[in-house]
Amino acid sequence: MSTTLIIVAAILVIALICVAGYNRLVRLNVSVDEAFAQIEVQLKRRSDLIPNLVETVKGYAAHEKSTFDAVVAARARSTSATTITDVAAADGAMTQALRGLLAVAEAYPDLKASANFLSLQEELSTTENKVGFSRQFYNDNVRSLNSAVKTFPSNLFANLAKVTSRAFYEVDDPSDRKAPNVKF
Amino acid sequence: MNFRKIQAANKRKTFELLFGMGLLVGAVVYAALTYFGKTGVGIVPFAVGIALISVWGSYWASDTIVLTMTGAKEIVESENPKLFDLIHEVAIASGLKMPKVAIVQDSAPNAFATGRNPDKALIAFTTGILDVMDREELQGVIAHELSHVANRDTLVSAVAATTAGAIAILSDFLTRMMWFGGGRGDDRENNQNPLALIFSLVILILAPLAAILLRSAISRRREALADATAVSFTRNPTGLRRALEVLAADNTVVQQRSTAVAHIWIESPLDGSSVSKLFSTHPPIEERIATLRRMEANPETY
Repeated sequence: MSTTLIIVAAILVIALICVAGYNRLVRLNVSVDEAFAQIEVQLKRRSDLIPNLVETVKGYAAHEKSTFDAVVAARARSTSATTITDVAAADGAMTQALRGLLAVAEAYPDLKASANFLSLQEELSTTENKVGFSRQFYNDNVRSLNSAVKTFPSNLFANLAKVTSRAFYEVDDPSDRKAPNVKF
Repeated sequence: MNFRKIQAANKRKTFELLFGMGLLVGAVVYAALTYFGKTGVGIVPFAVGIALISVWGSYWASDTIVLTMTGAKEIVESENPKLFDLIHEVAIASGLKMPKVAIVQDSAPNAFATGRNPDKALIAFTTGILDVMDREELQGVIAHELSHVANRDTLVSAVAATTAGAIAILSDFLTRMMWFGGGRGDDRENNQNPLALIFSLVILILAPLAAILLRSAISRRREALADATAVSFTRNPTGLRRALEVLAADNTVVQQRSTAVAHIWIESPLDGSSVSKLFSTHPPIEERIATLRRMEANPETY
């Protein structure tokens, strides 16, 4: 009698561990998808700011053609990107191009002082931050997922749940990743 | 020293302190049993009930009650788009929903977070903090407040308050019963050991004090944890460190100084000298700054 009870209890405990491990993997996988969707939302937002920004800068610095072309090309590239690596590469190119555009703007005091440019600049900087934070959040989620896929006991259910390790979102821009180094 | 280790250490400490509170409840129940037998134990569910009702009502409606107690007014995005942008940035970093935002008309710089769960979260800022802090500092403050939301500190402090409340009510009842001659009841005949009786008396007298100390210690741990979690959101200890330095340098305090809501502000609104360190709801601000500086010194650990 009591041995049956123990066996039943043991089976129940193992079943519970299985269900919990399976659910955890599925949940982590969904949160990685959600985090990636958030990156795309923010990239889209940044993309939408560009025509307006380019027009405003053009009004003061029409001859800086190569800079505008770079931004427009980066934007075109980002709309066609689908895989994580492509999106990340297009994102990096866009960040570079925008930096170039803002550097151009630095040379035109009238432009810098215009209300339109100032509000665009604020919007661009908050969007840059949102893009950066959504990347970081995505990578944190990928880190948890990947470690769950590799570690016991959740690794046992990875196949069952059809969950695999995911790629990190890596932007090829060293200045993005380095935290400020403060010495005392 | 990285934020992950600091987070883990503070979570473990919170657990230990809550466990300590559990032991304290056990000790009080033991004392009740020794002194009054079954009559004493009968009071336990009664005391826990009172504590539950009084604390959990305010936990459930924390977002609205705290608004009234602090005089904060909820605002919409069009009233301060820059602040909303900043909060949205940190919300994305934390993966939390955008919280409700409120403003307290007060020139002393301070901020707090409340709400029973992340969906009901509200963070509030005094007009003073919005005036004196730059973007990076405010980001640190917002990250600290959203960390309280992410770590469910309204829930943790409600649990601590309930336990401390139950202990206070129990000891109060039992000591009164003692003065009014309760101890001579018939239930007690098995417990004539005078040492056990004296020990129980000491427990009953000291328990409420110990509960308050444990509750304050939990609050201090949650503040330290929120600082570390804030760094995990922004990966920028400098912003929060500079914000705390601004708060430390400023010696104005928020007008309403109700002790009931003192623990929710980022900087304690109570005058430092009036509260002993052991009873304080916040770690000393210099200590918090020093911890953040250690995180700044090791950026490669992120």
